[in-house]
Amino acid sequence: MHVVVCIKQVPDTSDVKINPETNTLIREGVQSIINPFDENALEIALVLKDTQGAKVTVITMGPPQAESALRECLARGADEVVLVSDRAFAGSDTLATSYTLARAIETLDKPDLILFGKQAIDGDTAQVGPGVAELLDMPVITYIRRVEVAEGKLKVERVFEDGYEKMEVPLPAVLTILKEANVPRMASLKGRMKAKKAEIAMLSAAAIQADPERVGLKGSPTKVVRIFTPPKKTGGIRIDGTHPLEAARTLVEKLREQKVI
Amino acid sequence: MPEIHSDIGPDYLRDESRKTGTADSISFPLNEAEIADAVRWAAANGQCITTQGARTGLTGGAVPSGGHILNLSRMKTITDRDDLIVQPGVTLDEIRAHLKSRGNVFFAPDPTETTATIGGMASCNASGARSFRYGATRESILAARLVLADGDVIALCRGQCMATGRNFRLKTESGRVIEGDLPSYTTPAIKTASGYFVRDSMDLLDLFIGSEGTLGIFSELHLKLQPWPASVWGVMAFFGKEPDALAFVHAVRGLKDKPASIEFFDSCSLNLLRSHRLEGAPEVPADYHTAVYVEYHAADEDEASGMVERMCEALDGCGGSEDRTWIATDDHERERIRLFRHALPEAVNSLIDERRKTDPAITKLGTDMAVPDDRLDELMALYHASLERLGLEYVIFGHIGSNHVHVNILPRTVKQFEQGKAQYLEWADAVIRMGGTVSAEHGIGKLKTPFLLKMMGARGIEDMRRLKRLFDPQCRLNPGNLFAC
Repeated sequence: MHVVVCIKQVPDTSDVKINPETNTLIREGVQSIINPFDENALEIALVLKDTQGAKVTVITMGPPQAESALRECLARGADEVVLVSDRAFAGSDTLATSYTLARAIETLDKPDLILFGKQAIDGDTAQVGPGVAELLDMPVITYIRRVEVAEGKLKVERVFEDGYEKMEVPLPAVLTILKEANVPRMASLKGRMKAKKAEIAMLSAAAIQADPERVGLKGSPTKVVRIFTPPKKTGGIRIDGTHPLEAARTLVEKLREQKVI
Repeated sequence: MPEIHSDIGPDYLRDESRKTGTADSISFPLNEAEIADAVRWAAANGQCITTQGARTGLTGGAVPSGGHILNLSRMKTITDRDDLIVQPGVTLDEIRAHLKSRGNVFFAPDPTETTATIGGMASCNASGARSFRYGATRESILAARLVLADGDVIALCRGQCMATGRNFRLKTESGRVIEGDLPSYTTPAIKTASGYFVRDSMDLLDLFIGSEGTLGIFSELHLKLQPWPASVWGVMAFFGKEPDALAFVHAVRGLKDKPASIEFFDSCSLNLLRSHRLEGAPEVPADYHTAVYVEYHAADEDEASGMVERMCEALDGCGGSEDRTWIATDDHERERIRLFRHALPEAVNSLIDERRKTDPAITKLGTDMAVPDDRLDELMALYHASLERLGLEYVIFGHIGSNHVHVNILPRTVKQFEQGKAQYLEWADAVIRMGGTVSAEHGIGKLKTPFLLKMMGARGIEDMRRLKRLFDPQCRLNPGNLFAC
């Protein structure tokens, strides 16, 4: 069984700062991490490796420094990693990214399962997983919290706001994974030392025989008109919590006034 | 002169020890002159003084026993030099936030309670995990100013005011000379926060650090900063049994690279962590029994990597395995390990809070003792044997690099609580016989004075009392801390 995990390196937005003049992300001093949902996807793949002997390949499209995210995946137990990187890919939107990743995956051994995190925490689009599935003509199921593979079939649980459904699909398939699926493992010391010395395979635009019209800015119909920080909410009532009983009384009073209760 | 208030909020009558005291008045000085004014006012009115910072201490050192409360939590000035000059009310959080803008330096002492004030930390010689490499608060203080019981001030600079053998001589800012003999005991060369620090021909600054406010009141502290290491690598090694983990601790201590910290989690701790995992922390596989965390600080990745490679050899020789060892080499991964480690004290507290609902007489019983390096295995065996014999629930974790683990007994009943308390006293006897200390980092305060008496003997306590009288003849400063006046 071959499992391909697509990851993205993102800025650690738990400590994000916006330049107030340009309204863009200040990247200096912000650590790059593996997109947290992708860590959950990787964990699913690594469990399939532990329990079923699956081969795990991790692939990312990004600048050369995304190599460090791939090394982290190797350290956690991925068998192979691939960095899809070329100046021609700069400025890709979700469509161009989906196309590039799909072409890159086609150069690998045929995957039985392709995993994505539910979305990246920087763009929040959740479009690339389904995009790749479409281009590879594979079924896709999003928002997965549980995966089981038995007899060439996939049993999954897909979560909605008010419940979940159990589904069974034939392989190959594409899944996008939720945070609640698992707790990502730490890298082992052995894995880290091995990852440090590993050669990282690179795929350029030429290597994946990409159509120049479909990658980078040229292949991206999405145009960003403006990025801005939404204005802070003002007003509201703050209830002092020093005396819980009193605070609760005030809260109930206010809710009654507003006819909420 | 600071305003003297007679209306005292109940919070100022207690600290984290949950002990409660009484007082007649409180003031909040803003500078050294105001501390001196308040001290002179108290002297004129026959009042004793209890000095407070953030009241995060665990031994009741800041709990008043009548008289006046001198609360220094509003003295918050920070002045940048090459190092850092701070007023005593500045908290550890504030120091860290301030240094963030300087970027390349840090203040090494790292007690878990980051809302502690620097005055309090200096007074009880607080420390945390990284004291294994950087020392306790003592090692990070370059100079200090103190207000004495009569309102006079002394300024002490490291290396500039030394005792001659056991004899000392100090000059106050007003020109008064205080001289006499130091206590006759010698503070053991282990991590300790028990009683006055005494050595032959010692630096007299060290006499005041860890004296729990009984000799003078810190009004200003000059702090040493360390260059921030470019590479911080944390390794969490798991073992199948505790003796292997202890062998690993000895082996790591024998290596040429000194880790910043060596921390320990016994099997009961790992079990508790399995059921109280914090969001974001990793999961511990079921067959991992005992863990040792080692953190290396290095100038670059290559140096860190070399340190960890040498550590690997020790690991392999002690029944550990590189497969069953976590490593964190960046902030993100280290934060996950931090969440993992910090869940433990929180889990203990929430368990105890739960049990207090059925019986409020139950509290946590936490030890804070340390022994010399060659007694570690004996101490660990003793802890386990007595706890198993009594059938008590417990966790053992902490700063094993300094042979300083915390045993936390988790009593289910008042009977178990009493049994645990009695056991604690018995352990103290054993620790003292091993040449150890009854408090390695929390201090003595008011709660652990019987332990200090055991450790120092009546003569040691009398020596301390005699020294205190040279600085504070009427025993006005923090009476009840360390010993009864």
